[in-house]
Amino acid sequence: MSFLSPYTALIAAAASIPLLLLLYFLKLRRTEHTIPSTLLWRKAVQDLRVNAPFQKLRKNILLLLQMLLLIAVLVALAKPVMNFVRKPERNVVLVIDQSASMKTIEEDGRARIEHAKQAAKEFVDNLGGSSKAMIIGFADRAEVVTAFTNDRRRLKNGIDGIEANDGLSRIGEALQLAVAYSSSFVEGADDPGFIPDSVQTADIELFGDGRISDAAEEFITRAEMIHHQIGEVTDNVGITAFGVRRAIDQPGIVSVFATVQNFGPQSVTTDASLFLDDRLLDVVPVELGPADIKTSTQPAESRDTADSQSGRNIVFKFSHEAGGVLRIKLSRDDALPLDNEVHAPLDPPRAMRVLIVADREPVIRTLEWTFGYALQIDDVRVLSTEGYENAPEEEVAIEGRSAYDLVVIDKHDTDRLPPGNYVFFNGVPKIEGVEIGEDINEYFFVTWREAHPLLRYVELETVQVAKWRRLTLPDHAARLIEGENTVVTALITDPGHRYLINAFDLLDTDFTTDVAFPIYIQNTIDYLAGGDVETQRRMIAPGETITVQVPAGASKMTVTMPDQTKTEVDVEGRLNTTFGNTRSVGVYNIKFDDPKESTETYCVNILDEVESLIAPNSELSLSGTRIETVSGETEVNDPVWPYAVAAALVFLMIEWWVYNRRVMI
Amino acid sequence: MAQLPSAQPVNQPPKQEGLLLDPDFLARLEQLELISRKIHASRSKGERRSKRKGESAEFADYRNYVIGDDLRHIDWNIYARLDKLFLKLFLEEEDLNVSVLLDVSGSMQYGNPSKGLYAKRVAAALAYIGLCNYDRVNVYAYNEKVHDFRRALRGRRMMSQLIGFLEEMPLEGKSHFAAAARQFAMQQSQKGIVLILSDFMDKGGFEEGFRFLIGRKMDIYALQILSPEEVEPELTGDLKLVDIEDEDVAEVTVTKPLLDKYKATLQAYCESIRDYCTQRGAAYHLAITNQPFESLVLNYLRRRGLVR
Repeated sequence: MSFLSPYTALIAAAASIPLLLLLYFLKLRRTEHTIPSTLLWRKAVQDLRVNAPFQKLRKNILLLLQMLLLIAVLVALAKPVMNFVRKPERNVVLVIDQSASMKTIEEDGRARIEHAKQAAKEFVDNLGGSSKAMIIGFADRAEVVTAFTNDRRRLKNGIDGIEANDGLSRIGEALQLAVAYSSSFVEGADDPGFIPDSVQTADIELFGDGRISDAAEEFITRAEMIHHQIGEVTDNVGITAFGVRRAIDQPGIVSVFATVQNFGPQSVTTDASLFLDDRLLDVVPVELGPADIKTSTQPAESRDTADSQSGRNIVFKFSHEAGGVLRIKLSRDDALPLDNEVHAPLDPPRAMRVLIVADREPVIRTLEWTFGYALQIDDVRVLSTEGYENAPEEEVAIEGRSAYDLVVIDKHDTDRLPPGNYVFFNGVPKIEGVEIGEDINEYFFVTWREAHPLLRYVELETVQVAKWRRLTLPDHAARLIEGENTVVTALITDPGHRYLINAFDLLDTDFTTDVAFPIYIQNTIDYLAGGDVETQRRMIAPGETITVQVPAGASKMTVTMPDQTKTEVDVEGRLNTTFGNTRSVGVYNIKFDDPKESTETYCVNILDEVESLIAPNSELSLSGTRIETVSGETEVNDPVWPYAVAAALVFLMIEWWVYNRRVMI
Repeated sequence: MAQLPSAQPVNQPPKQEGLLLDPDFLARLEQLELISRKIHASRSKGERRSKRKGESAEFADYRNYVIGDDLRHIDWNIYARLDKLFLKLFLEEEDLNVSVLLDVSGSMQYGNPSKGLYAKRVAAALAYIGLCNYDRVNVYAYNEKVHDFRRALRGRRMMSQLIGFLEEMPLEGKSHFAAAARQFAMQQSQKGIVLILSDFMDKGGFEEGFRFLIGRKMDIYALQILSPEEVEPELTGDLKLVDIEDEDVAEVTVTKPLLDKYKATLQAYCESIRDYCTQRGAAYHLAITNQPFESLVLNYLRRRGLVR
């Protein structure tokens, strides 16, 4: 048995024991009473005392009992503990996972976050001496809940204030914060209260289920890290992927894709129901085998579980000409209900408008054929480069946006780029960091990103190119096709703009005659201008920022949150506006007060295997380093003080009994 | 805790005192006379038979004549018949010496009515009986020593003087029975009845005092007077008991075992006095002040043979 706060008890003892002795020697004030003679009383008392056992002891037995009682109370005050684990004087950062998976309901009916908070509070209670601690809560973003302090009450209040949100677990920012704060802590060495030797870095104590999506990334930590594993239940079925698209050739047909995955150890059967604006459209029964993922396995290694035994892809197809909000709901109740429901905005089909800016007849013909005939797009317009540059503003832009879903520009560099989607062949947008240079004579594409939506199903092995031009690109450009040392095709995503830059000339390649070309263009339309792209853009993860273009004439944006609370944002005179409070899963309706009363719908879904995999991870690795894991329920420093208080109570009762039995002069 | 009757202030006779004896009671007392179990010699002629042979009309005995005897007492008829000189002895009648040793120490003011008043009444009653019978009545009031006394009172007319003496007598001081008995024994050389009225709450003990009286071959009656509050104390809790006489302080925590022990001790103490008395031919009686003193005098003492 050890004591957590012996000094408090010693100080209390120093004050109270002399006081007790003093009080004892002062004795109690007795009522005075006159009697004829004390003769017989003395005799009686003497007789009684002679006959009583332990006379010597009896004289002081009350004092003895009082001392025992006091000692028992003092022992309780010293916080005695069993299973003592010596906590050295040190500084710790308590990093508490508050991501969506922490909303899992454990078997005792309490959320996992509550267990984490309890474990964290117990940890704070057991901190040795004047150790300081700080508290960081993290989900997709991290925040400092309580800065370094040794005030246990403040720390515990901070822990109490932590709530789980629907965000994903990303620990990077939390670790950065921890490092930053503990660095500043070390710099506080000129503080007179600073203990130089014992406090160099703060240790990190992670409280969570150990499911962290960015666990494989590199982190800078100088500290020892211990993972307190929280949670037990594993039973969860969740929707981990969700997509909606309209066929470009048949805009009335809506296809809905979803992946339902079982993360629990048992086979489960559930129903996936599709709702459109709360109207039930379809129900699909889903049978899922047990998860073949060991709890220890990092989810990153098990990404391809869809269509394995434990995962199923489901597809709904229906005809719908108008817009709305789609919802898929699993009928099964499990420990984490958050991932049983996903939402997606569905836009009404609209006619695709494509503008071709080209001067060369073969190019115009090829593109017109591809868009108009192969892809069945009705509204294809052609402008010469000169015509494009000189076209009146209202012809190229409507309400501050490009009037076309896609603008294809051939062999022309331009700075006339209203927000929109642009495809350049042998040309570049005149924007910062983008330049096009001399010809490069290579004949084959060396590498390309097959998995990228733009290049999906595009066979480039056989495509030959006579030459292409050297591209200078900004850092954030995605390189899609590359030659030996140069970039052939790149995608630049800027706010409001997307540019697909192809450095080759359409007349210098057999690409246009290949079957791959229409697929490439189809992908381009789908990705840059397609309905599902627009839909995907408006399906975001919790915590992601909503960026919307402000329609002309709007001065106020009203956001209706999933819990039906409304937030107003002043957007007067701004082109874009952002909304960041997207921590909750559900539908966010945005409404502007412009004359047309424009609305937009954003849907926040978890769609994250790491969050849905609620089985706690006992083998957490960060940046490839195994983290020591202790069970969050481990009882160290068992408090013993209740026993001391009970002993004090017993002594009190014995004292009462003795007091009523005793004989004293 | 029950409120006990507080002690009367020292030097002031208790308010209830009024008359020590009421006239009806006095009339009944006139019928009584004191009886000594022993026959004593006395100095003056009285109404009681003396140990000495004397000159009363009642014949007692014969004895041989020895030279020097009064020739007037020779029974000449016997001489005529037997030719021997016999002296005819007659009973002598003398008065009875009745002494009352009255404890007037501080402890006697305890109780309601106080033990002192009770004792004074008993003393007055017995003295009155004595006076009515032409006995010689001596009243000694003592505390540490004999405080005051009235000696050799005879005749009913002395009663008012005696009552006045008793009424004026303050109840104060420590009691020292042995010293008082010694002083009494030295002053009172004549034998007779001694009536001791006291609570015997004497830290010096009672035996020594009795020894002086027994040594004088007196007919001793010990009447121990206690108040009900002493016999059944209604005390509880942490108390500071102050001795009324010497202001000795005893701090006690009164609990049931202690109370039981006190009662046992008191009983043992009373029994020790009684045993001591009976073993030495003295009479002992315990009187509680809630027992009417008239009945004590008229019934109990009569039964015990002190009065007739």
